[in-house]
Formats: sequence, structure tokens, C-alpha cells
Amino acid sequence: MMFSPDHIAGVISFLFTILVLSYLIGDNPLFRIAVYIFVGVSSGYVAAVAWWQVIVPRLIYPLAYGSVSEKAITAIPLLGAVMILMKISPRLTGLARIAMAFLVGVGAAVIIAGALSGTLVPQISATINAFDMNAANARNISMVEVIFNGAFILAGTIFTLIYFHFGARPKADGSIRRLGLIEISAWIGRIFIGITLGTIFAGVYAAALTALIERISSLINFLGNF
Amino acid sequence: MSDMIKCPACGESNLSDQDVCQYCQTRLPDVTIKPGQIPTRKNTAELEPILPQWLRDARDSAREDDQQGAQQKLDQPESPQSQAASATNDLLAGLQAQAGNNDEGDMPDWLASIMDGPSKTTNPQTESSDTDEMGLAGKVDFEDDVVAELSSDEEIPSWLAELKPAEPQPDENDGANDWLHDLERPEQARQSELPESFESSFTDSSASDTPDWLRQMAAEENVKNEGAPADISADVFADAPELSIDTPDWLQAMRDQEEAAKSADSEGSSGSSFGKSDAAENPANGDLTDWMDSLPKDEETKQGAAPVWLSNDEPLPLSSAAEPGDNPDWFNSFQAVPAFQPERPFAPADSPPHAESEDSQLSDNLDALFTDMPDWLSDASETPPSSNLMPNADMDEIAPGDLPDWVQAMRPADSGDSQSSPASLSPSDQTLETHGVLAWLQGVLPAAPGFAPTSKPKAYSIKLQASDEQQSHAALLERILAAETAPVPIVSFSVLKTSRALRWFLAFIFLLIIGIPLFMRTQIFSLPEGVPLSVNGAMQVAQSIPEGAPVLVAFDYEPARVGEMEAATAPLFDQLMLLRHPYLIFISTNATGAILAERFISGPLAVHNYQYGIQYLNLGYLPGGQMGIRAFAQNPRVTTPSDMSLSSAWDSAPLEGIVSLSQLAALIVVTDDADAARTWIEQTESVRGGIPLVVISSAQAAPMIQPYFESWQISGLISGLYGGALFEQYNAGRPGTARSYWDAYSLGMLLAMALVFGGGLWNLILGLRDRIAIREAQ
Amino acid sequence: MRVFTAVIAIAAGVLVLGGYFFPALADVQTLLLNWAIILAGFAALVGIFNLIAVHMGKIRGHEKGRTYSALLIIGLVATFFFGMILRPQHAMMKIVMNGIIIPTEAALMGILTVSLVYAVIRLLRRRADMMGIIFLVTAALLMLGSATLPFGNIPLIGTLLHPWITQILALGGARGILIGVALGTLTTGLRILFGADRPYGGN
Repeated sequence: MMFSPDHIAGVISFLFTILVLSYLIGDNPLFRIAVYIFVGVSSGYVAAVAWWQVIVPRLIYPLAYGSVSEKAITAIPLLGAVMILMKISPRLTGLARIAMAFLVGVGAAVIIAGALSGTLVPQISATINAFDMNAANARNISMVEVIFNGAFILAGTIFTLIYFHFGARPKADGSIRRLGLIEISAWIGRIFIGITLGTIFAGVYAAALTALIERISSLINFLGNF
Repeated sequence: MSDMIKCPACGESNLSDQDVCQYCQTRLPDVTIKPGQIPTRKNTAELEPILPQWLRDARDSAREDDQQGAQQKLDQPESPQSQAASATNDLLAGLQAQAGNNDEGDMPDWLASIMDGPSKTTNPQTESSDTDEMGLAGKVDFEDDVVAELSSDEEIPSWLAELKPAEPQPDENDGANDWLHDLERPEQARQSELPESFESSFTDSSASDTPDWLRQMAAEENVKNEGAPADISADVFADAPELSIDTPDWLQAMRDQEEAAKSADSEGSSGSSFGKSDAAENPANGDLTDWMDSLPKDEETKQGAAPVWLSNDEPLPLSSAAEPGDNPDWFNSFQAVPAFQPERPFAPADSPPHAESEDSQLSDNLDALFTDMPDWLSDASETPPSSNLMPNADMDEIAPGDLPDWVQAMRPADSGDSQSSPASLSPSDQTLETHGVLAWLQGVLPAAPGFAPTSKPKAYSIKLQASDEQQSHAALLERILAAETAPVPIVSFSVLKTSRALRWFLAFIFLLIIGIPLFMRTQIFSLPEGVPLSVNGAMQVAQSIPEGAPVLVAFDYEPARVGEMEAATAPLFDQLMLLRHPYLIFISTNATGAILAERFISGPLAVHNYQYGIQYLNLGYLPGGQMGIRAFAQNPRVTTPSDMSLSSAWDSAPLEGIVSLSQLAALIVVTDDADAARTWIEQTESVRGGIPLVVISSAQAAPMIQPYFESWQISGLISGLYGGALFEQYNAGRPGTARSYWDAYSLGMLLAMALVFGGGLWNLILGLRDRIAIREAQ
Repeated sequence: MRVFTAVIAIAAGVLVLGGYFFPALADVQTLLLNWAIILAGFAALVGIFNLIAVHMGKIRGHEKGRTYSALLIIGLVATFFFGMILRPQHAMMKIVMNGIIIPTEAALMGILTVSLVYAVIRLLRRRADMMGIIFLVTAALLMLGSATLPFGNIPLIGTLLHPWITQILALGGARGILIGVALGTLTTGLRILFGADRPYGGN
């Protein structure tokens, strides 16, 4: 009887699923064995992927088979890669700062542009455009609904932003408190944030429930096929 | 200047307020007594470092005197009483000092003669002290010294021996000092007729004549108490022949009168330095009184009663017969000399004298005067080792008369208390100090009633004398104050213990609720109705993609959400693959995304039989997160030149000529993370052009991606199993994964809602109850 | 060294940011970004090496749990070995993925279901304030609205309340959070480019 990879995978999957679900009873060595093996295997797989899909095609191949210009260009990231590997050694970790500085600088520039053009401006524009009647008509939305919904969206956006304003001044009685208007606005903002977090929680539960359903379904299917 | 403390280690002197020696760093003995601390008995040797230097010198001189006295006793064996004579030297040293300070130079010869003798052995320092002026620098009871001397049979008392005639004072007409001067000449026994008045006796100009009365006394004593070493009279008259007297006529007359008259109560006898009270209270002290007993005296006197002249209230007047010119200057200086009052031995010095011309009184007084030792010669204290000198009151008819100021000052202070009793003039007043800095001094402290330190001073604690109630109130106040300053503990709930039973119950019921419909493959619950705009937008994008167009698919979700993501993604791709046959380009910013894409293609979409490299391409893992996406979006050929199998990715026909994302048909981001979706949206915003962007997300990321849909940055949004189920309905129920999961999903949601509502309400009640209990406890 | 690293970070950031606004710097931007991609890949390897070092230290030090660390090391080495030889897309690697990685992660995610319900049940026992009540009520309503009944959606809750909460009420809060995050990200990036923050060390 030949075991197909799917059968093998099925058996292993069943085994590991049971081992992990045993945590519902309580922490036990079987659960720990499964988790530690998972971490090791995952790390090994990531290392293999990083090698085959990052290092080989972007460093080794250009250095080995690329033109002179490609080799010259590739030498710099190779040097940077070696510097990053110096983080393993405590004595030579200082050299890794150069490569890390380069990474941080490039990343900072990317996130600045992305936050500015990808989130900040569009979202503010969208808050304003929530009262756009033309767009609402294009979507077959009534004006009352637009204004009603737009008001809630606008209020939620503004009060949520005010909630995260923590600048305060000392009062006459020695306490440090925010302005009264900001305090009231922050209190309203807390309501909207609570609703948002509750929505996120419901989504997390739905995702977890779906994962559990998928695992139990796989167990049942395996047992059914077995 | 603070007192110095001698270091016990190196012997150096240090200030008394220092704790350690400044030379050898040895800890200095703490000789101070703290308040409230009961003084502990210490050996005198421990106090050695703190003794002042002048006291040490006094002690040394006294020891030298003792040694000399002892030496003299070896040469001339003395009675113990004679030791007192050595003390007399110190005692008399004060006289010498006083004499030295006497500017008037009115030094009577008798006094001068006495003082010259003791001056040899007296410590000069002691002369300068006030006590020396009092004539009290002696360490031994003077009376003891005199008694010792007088009782000595064989030797001349040291104090007598040392008594040398003073330089004759030209100003002195000290005929009255003759009897004292005679003391300096033990071989010369003089007879002098005592004048009727006190001063007449002192006006005797002969300085070398032993008074006859004194000579007589000595003789009688020898007769009566021959061989008694303690016999003062014998000693006195043996050692000091000058003291042997013939009873003068006036004295004899006085004696006769005393025999007839009753003396006053013995208690009224003077406790003065004349030592009457000693005699009264210690009549059995034969050593002191024998020589006096030998003197003719009345019964009362024998019993120690005060002689008439002592018991007489009225002071003896100054002799009117005496010529002023005959009186010595010092005597003439007597202006206000209190009369000797037996009942009031401590009569103030400023009391005016009372003059009386009655001879009887005068004689009595004179007798009393010579029966008692003068203040400056003796102390009236009674000490065990010492014997009090009790002069024979009958023999002495010298009236107390006026005493010079300096003599009065030496006398024990008279408190003026009429109620002073002889008891206050007890021998304890003449206590010989044996401890402390006043050691070897007798009667140093005024022997006034109530003043005499009859015992060791009582140690009084300086602690607050509070009753129990007061202490309890103080403790209560302290507790109140402590409570005000005590930190208030922050009220915090105890850590909720993990309820294993609840967890087991929840696990069991969830497995049951989910397992049953899955096992039974039920499809009872209907799929959701009503397509939201987000899902509708995704549907429209799927319909708008040209056939065979390259579609970039970003697989950025974790293996943990494979079930949900495949259930949400499969309907759209099924429709897309079924209707549009797009060229799918998979890429992932997650290391496991590439293989998940492969799983996705070969799993739920296996029916479409998509071939690698023909219908789809897997570019593999794109590292760097936002940087990688930006780089790929800007130039995908350069960023990902090869696919997952390291083959050239952009040589296939569908990808030929594609250099940017805007040349693709659509961009579908499949992610379970809101940040990944935001990153793809942000980084491809500027280079994506007009291509639609559809996000298929997990239910947990949908709330944070919804604003991007509302802002028209994404064209469609399918979130979780709910969105997959909605699209699946639109896709004719294909592939059916959402349908198979839906019953379990709905039951799970309903169960969770029930548990959250019911359990939350129950725990809310429990929490409120706990809070109320905590508040009540506070 | 501190100045040199700061210069590199600022220079790289300025060049990349310039590529957004100046087309002439687009190629430079691409080049720098590709270099950053390579370095990011290496950074992942460094993380894995650190993981190996930690667990090897536990094994050598005979610490508690060294058996589990040994299993981890064995799994890691074996997977990496087979991955190096067979490549990640090999069937065997698919077995590893389908048999170990996916089931384990999914099962861990499934356990979260029980933990989430357990936590939200006991939430109000410790924090019975407005925020907690709103949170709990919203979650419960959405859970109820996500489910269906045999005859269809749950009336009012599923048809009206659920979409209104997720698309209107939650939208305002989510948008406020996104704008706040964007502002913070913008500020952080600018501080790095100005040299005020140096997370790469040397400050």
C-alpha cells in the first residue's frame, strides 16, 4: 500500500491537530512537543525559502552569472548582508549598524510616502466626501442616509482623533487635566473606539471559529477517509 | 574651659565632649549621665580621668599629709584621732589663705600661729579655693583631728606640733590670742586668767601663755583617764602641755553656778562646731568627752546638756570692761557678731549681738565657749570612726561673743529656722565625705536643716511622669497621626483565578456544537442574505477583468487562517477562473505565502486545473515588507526577475511587455492582516493607475480595511466566511466550502452570543457585588 | 561611527523619498529598494540563527526544557536541510507544510475561540465600565448579526443593525484610528530622516 503524500500529510496533520487541541484540557507535554516541533519546522522552512528565494536569485546568481556592472552593483548588498550577519557576534555587532541604518533610512522614506499619500490624504478626503451627494447618487444612496451616515462617520473620526490627544495643563488645584471640551470630546471618542474594538473582536472570534471549524472538519474527513 | 578627660590608653588629655581620643582613637569612657539614666555605681578609679586637676592636687596633698602624718605616727605613734590633725592642716589652710587674703593684716597671733603650722603642709591650690577660705579643705573631721591629738598620751598632735608662732603682727594686740599662741608651745603651760569677757581672754597679749584653763583641763584629764589613748583630754594635755590649765577663778565660779543650775535640754546644746550636740547625743563617746568629763561640770553637762552659757538665749555681750584699745584689731572689727545661742547654733552672722552685762550669763557663756570647739576648728558632725570633741562646757566660760565675718562664714550656715532642732545638727552634719570630689571633707555642705545631704542624693528621672491614662491618650494620638501619614493602599482587585471548569465546559460545548453539524454535514441554517457594497464591488471587478488578463494576486496570510481565507477567496477565484481565465501572478510578502498559493490552486480550485507557468505564475517570496512592495510596484521586472523555481518570470506570453502594475488587469490582495492590506494599498496607490484593487481579508481585518473601501481606494472587499458565503451564493454555491462550514459557523456564533450575554451579565453582577463588598470593607 | 550611520540612514531615506517626487530619482530609488530587499532577507536569516543559538544554549546549559529545544533544533535543521536540497516547492516540503505547519497553526487559532469567549465572559467582572459594556454589547450584536437562522437572517439585527454598525459606526472609529496611525507613522519617519531617532543604534 502506497501512502500518498496526502495520506502522510493527513496522518501527520491529524496527529498534530490532536496534540494541539489537547491544550483545551490543560498544558501538557504533548502540546509542547507539537508546538516546539512546529516552531523548528517553520523556522527551517523560512530559512530555506529565504535562501532559495532571496539569496540565491538576488545575490548568488548575479555575482555568479551576472555582468560586471551587475556584479558591482550586487557587491554592495552582499557587503551589507555580511554586515547584517555580524549581528550574530556580540563583538562585531557594531558593523551591523551600517546596514541597519540603511534599512531604517529606506524604510522611513517608504512609510512616509505611503502614510501621506496612501492613508492620510485619502482618508481625510473621504471624510469630507461622505457628504458628497453625487457620489451617493452614483451608489443609489439617499440624501438623508448620506447626511445621517456622514454625520456619524465624521463624528466618529473627529472624536476618535480627539481621544488620542493627551496634552494637558496643570489646573489651579494642582491636578493635570485636559481642557473640558477635549475631555467631553474624548469621552464621546471612547464610545466610538469601543464600538470599533467590539467589531474587531467579533471578527477575530469569527476567524478563530472558522479555523476551529476547519480543523474539526479535517479531523472528521480524515477519520471518514481512514 | 571644658573639663579634660584622660585617655585610658595613651593617657593624653581630651575634651570631655569627645567620644574618641584624638591621639589614639580609643573610645573615651562616657562618664556623663544621660537624662533619665540612673547613675551607675562606678569605681573611683574609673573616674580618675575626669577628675579636675585641682582636686587631684588636693588629694595628693592630702595623701602626702597622711603619709607624713603616718610617718609621724610611726615616729610618734598617734591615735587615730590624731589623723584628724593632718586634716586640720588642710582645714586650717583655709585660714592661711584667708589670712593671706586679709588685706587688713589683722591676723591675730593665735590664728596666725595656727595657720603657720598647717601652712607647710597645706596645698597652695587649696588655699585659693573657696573651701579653703572656709577652712574646710581638710579631708578629715577636724574634730577628729583634735580629738586624736588631745587623746594622744605620748605625742604632741601634729597640728599642734606644727603650729608655729606666727610672725608677730605688730598691729595685733592680741592678748586674747594668748591661749592660742600657747598652743604652739606645748612645753609652756601658761596660766592666764581669763577675763570676764570673751575678748578679755583674747586680749591677753602673751602669745605664749597656755591658758590656765586649758592646762587645768589637761591635768584633770590625766588624772582621770590616765592611759586612755582615746582620752582627748589626756592626749591634749599630754601633747599640748600648754593646754593644761589651772581652772581660773572665774571659770570655777562659773562651774559652781552650773552645778546649781540645770542646763537646758541636751538637744538644745549647740550642734555647732563646738560639738556640743555630739556630746549630747553621744555621751558614751568617752574618747571625746572624757577630758571634758574630767572638767567640773554639772549633771546636765555630763549628760551632754548644753551648758548654761550655751543654753542662754541671750548672747554674751561684749565685755564692757575691756578696753577698746586693748582689743585686737580683728576683734575690734566685730561689729555685729551674733550671740552664741545653743538653741540656734546656726545663727546668722548678721544677727546683732546682744550685750549683757550679767556675769553669770557671761561666765556661763565663757564656759560654753571653751567647752566647745570653735567653728573653724571643728565640725559638729558625728562620724563612726571619729569621735566628737565635746569640750567641757563647765570649763569654758568664754562667751561666744562676736566672731569675725570670716569666721562666721566658716561656721555652718544658720538657716534661721527656729524650728531647727538639734537633730538637724546631728553628727550627720559633720559627716566625713568619703566619695566623690568632696572626699575627705567634713561638713562641707551647710548643716542647715534640710540642707544637709544626709544620704546619697536621690536620682530623679527626668522622664515624663505620665499616668497610664495619659500614656494611653498619647499612644492614641500617635496612632491617629500615623494613620494620617500612612500610605493608603490602592484598592485593587485580586487576580481572578483561572476557572478550569469553565474552560472545560466551553471547550466541550464548542466541540459539540461545531462537531455535530460538521459530522452530520447539515445545511440547516440559511446563508446570509443581502449583498453589501463591498462584496458587490468585488463581484463587479471579477466581472470586469478581461479574459486571460494578468491579475496580480498577493497571498499575504498566515497558515493559521487557511480555512477562513480559502473559504472567503475560493468563490471569487472560482468565478474568475471559470469566467475570465485570468493569468494569475501570485506573489507574497510572507515566506509561506507562496506555498499557500500553491495549495490554494491545487485545492479548492483544483477543478480548474490551472498549470504552473501556463495559467499562473508564482513569483515566490518578496522580502522587505513595504520596501519590497514599493520596489515591486515601481519595477516588478527588476524586483522579481525570476519566479519561485528560479526561472525567468517575465518571459511568458501573458507577462510580455509588462513593466508596471498599471499594465495588469487587477490587483487582488488576499490577506488576514489589516496592515498588509494597508501597505499594498499605500505603496501601490501612485503606480497602480486605474486598475481595480480587491481585498479579500479575514473577518478580523475587515473593520480596519472598510475605510479604504469607503474612501474608494479599493474596489471591493470580501471579509471572512460571511463574505465568502455571500459571494458563494452569487457564484451559484461554488465551490461550496462556505456552505459546508456555515451551520457550524452560525451555531458557533449563536452560542458565543448567548455565552457572552448570559455569562457577561452574570459576571457583571458578581463584579458589582465584589465592588460593593470592597467599598463596605473600606 | 554614530555620525556615519546617521549619514547613511538620512542619505538613503532622502534619496528614496526623492524618488516619489522626482522621476529622475526613480531608478536610484529602485536600486536602493532592491538593496534593502536583499538585506531584509538576510535579516530573517539572522533571526533564525539567533533562535538556534538560544536553544543550543539551553541544551548545552542543561536548562529546563532542553528536550523541547532539542526537538526544535532537530526539526529546524531537518527542514532546512530538506529545503536546501529539495527546494521549498517540493512535494516533501508540501507534506511538511500541510502536515505540520498548517494544522498546528490552525489548531492554535481554533483554541483561541474558547479563550476569547472565556475572556469576554469574565470581562465585566473586572471592568464594568462604559467602555467594557459598549465593547461587549457591540461584539455580541455583531456575533448575532453574523449568524443566520434556518429561515434567513436574524431580523433587525442581521439586516439592519449588523451592517450599520460595521459600515457606519465602526467606520468612524476605524478611520480615526487609521488617521492617527498615519500621523504617527509620518512623524516617526520624519524623526528618523532628521536624525532625531536612531533605532539602528549609535545614539
